[in-house]
Amino acid sequence: MISLTETTEEQSELPFKFVPQLFHLHKDHDLFEDGDVHRHMYLQDLYCVSEAEDKSTPSISQFACHISGCSAVFSVLEEYEHHYNSLHRHVCCSCRRSLPSARLLDVHIQEWHDSLFTILAQTQDMYQCLVEGCGQKFRTNKDRKDHLVMIHKYPPDFRFDKTKKDRRTHETKKPQQIETAMEVVDDTCGSERVHDGLSDQQERGESMETHVSEEEAAQNYAAAAAAGGDAGLSAALHSNKHANSEMPKPQYSYSVRTACAKTGIRVLCCFRLEQSTEHSNSKIWFSGSF
Amino acid sequence: MWRLNRVRYKHVGQSSKSSEELRLKRREQEKALRQARRDKQLVSKRLLLNEDDEVTMETTSGEQDVVSLLYKLQQSGSERETHLKDLSKALRDPSAQLTFIKQENSMHLLVSLLTGSNTQCRLHAVRCLHELSHSVHTNVAPACLPATPYLLTYLSGQSTKFTELCLYTLGNLIPDSDVVKEKLLAQGIIPALASCMENQRHNLAVVEAVGFTLSQLLQAKDAAEKIIPTVLTSCLPSQLLSVLTPDPKFGLAPAIECAWCLHYLACSKDSRGLLAQGALLQCSSLLSSLGGAEGSKEGMELLVCPLLRCVGNLLSFCPVDSLSSQVGDVRLVVALCAFLQAYLHTQPALARESAWVLNNLTAHSGEFCSALLTFNLVPGLMQLLLFSQGINTMILRILANVAHKKKELCVQLVHLGLLSTLCSTLKMADQEMVTLSLEVLFMLVVSGPQVVDEFVRLNGVPLLEAIQYNSDGEMRQRAVYLLERHLLSDSSSACTVDNVSSS
Repeated sequence: MISLTETTEEQSELPFKFVPQLFHLHKDHDLFEDGDVHRHMYLQDLYCVSEAEDKSTPSISQFACHISGCSAVFSVLEEYEHHYNSLHRHVCCSCRRSLPSARLLDVHIQEWHDSLFTILAQTQDMYQCLVEGCGQKFRTNKDRKDHLVMIHKYPPDFRFDKTKKDRRTHETKKPQQIETAMEVVDDTCGSERVHDGLSDQQERGESMETHVSEEEAAQNYAAAAAAGGDAGLSAALHSNKHANSEMPKPQYSYSVRTACAKTGIRVLCCFRLEQSTEHSNSKIWFSGSF
Repeated sequence: MWRLNRVRYKHVGQSSKSSEELRLKRREQEKALRQARRDKQLVSKRLLLNEDDEVTMETTSGEQDVVSLLYKLQQSGSERETHLKDLSKALRDPSAQLTFIKQENSMHLLVSLLTGSNTQCRLHAVRCLHELSHSVHTNVAPACLPATPYLLTYLSGQSTKFTELCLYTLGNLIPDSDVVKEKLLAQGIIPALASCMENQRHNLAVVEAVGFTLSQLLQAKDAAEKIIPTVLTSCLPSQLLSVLTPDPKFGLAPAIECAWCLHYLACSKDSRGLLAQGALLQCSSLLSSLGGAEGSKEGMELLVCPLLRCVGNLLSFCPVDSLSSQVGDVRLVVALCAFLQAYLHTQPALARESAWVLNNLTAHSGEFCSALLTFNLVPGLMQLLLFSQGINTMILRILANVAHKKKELCVQLVHLGLLSTLCSTLKMADQEMVTLSLEVLFMLVVSGPQVVDEFVRLNGVPLLEAIQYNSDGEMRQRAVYLLERHLLSDSSSACTVDNVSSS
């Protein structure tokens, strides 16, 4: 068992710094404000027993989404969990889109960010049916869509099956971002947004995605092969992307595939943009020693 | 049983308003007091009324009365008592007070009557001074300086009512002017208060007045340098302690004043000596007894508040090895948790202060940490972790104190469901809460391998994964460490297993 009294060498590595602390408070400390006011109300004979309505009862602590840049705040735990599970669990690290399920995320990555897929799709049926358990594959996105509509009775405008091609008709950086807006790490308001998984919207810098030529794809693949393994492929994809994009450099991004392959635990991918401004409005009464 | 004597101090002019008006007025005044507190200008005065005084709103032409009354007083005669009595009533009016001090030789006349052979005149004269001391105009107090040496002298007298009036007059004069305060200190107010308290300790009305006056001195801005050291070396602290237990018949008021004095003293960093006088023992015993049914009586929080603060600050001076002798009964933890629950919704600030005291109590003492578990107080504490405004961070700190002590306590905490609670607190908006939660989680995790399993089972891992992407570096570091070293490596590599098994 790892004991709490570790060697000094290990201790210096530990980011955990809690030690029990004694706090001595001077008479003007903030913590004493309410009590002092109450005391002086009594001295000035303004004291009254039934003043409950005037007191500020402590509020329930808020829950906040931890993902940097998402400033959503909730007063009820279930709401927070719903938000988190809906928006942050299956996020594509390449384009930051949030998908509703692990499977759809996999499919998305494969179809959008996997150059090997692009190559193979030219000669094989690669587009899987989105319905779990169906197993059928199709040569084109359209074929799949037809299948979904006819066999599985999906609506023709199913959100999570937009094609990449539709994108070409739009400029990059259009206001549609709000409509499709999956950018859970957008730094504006904290309201929940609608999420499109395999949507056609791809913002600035990713237009190269649509232009991945066979040649480039082959280069990527070669680079990946050289780097070795899944990780290499993802890394290659990432570096390729970042060379061209205006997006800020990701500070914490894990490839979902890599994580999946290794540990079987779904890891989030997020880009860290700007610091989220605040996560709480509660005071910090005691910080450090004083 | 514990009556709060509110009849004695009526706020003048309050009689004829409706309850709604009163409530509004009270709220306004509370706002004003709060602002004054933030400006560090919070002072109060007290006006002692005669039993036969009518509380009226009338302010008759006080100014004219003052001038004419003064004129009449300058003529000797048997009517002087009446005139003085009238003058004291007239001086309730603020503008009359200003008029008075502007009149030439007015104070000189008053002092001569204060020190004359006619004792009724003395009484009325001191009442005049008392009204003047209660003035809202700060330039009135310096005008009363000629009277102060006599007021101090009279503190060693035996007349209760007279002494009370002197005391409250002095107490009112103190905050208005530094000049007055310096003079009083030079004239020996502190020894005078000490001997007054000594001689009159069975007279609770006087004790209350001494307490009030002393508290006015102790709240002064430079009290730490000029006043507190002198007070600490006098016999005042022990006298204050001896009056602390409320008298059933008289009520809470004297104990309240003395407790506040002790609080101001304990705030000073030089008050370590109070420990030797048994201050911690006395205050904590009293708190323990108030933690039961008595504590919920009307007005009791006016006493609980300064006691909590005394105990909290004195604990910070107390060496760990003498803690049990200084605090006495370990069941103080029960009382503190009772206060937490009782005041949470009615006086959240007081709940916060209770939590602070509990932190100081458990910080370095294994005995008190264990007591929390023995008396089954932890579940109640865990429920409070949901509340904000500083209460939950302090309570989490308390639980962290417990976890820090020994592994066996960690095991018990896990058994009580702390991991599940942490899964909620890790999602909170308050950064300090999350960071503390990570600290506690770490301590629990290293206490035993089954903790990791339980945490994983509770689906806690995604929470940590999310925290990895938080903008705060402190949180990220801790989350990453926990994930990499303890949580994510359990299934794959053998290295973690080695770590776990090696001691």
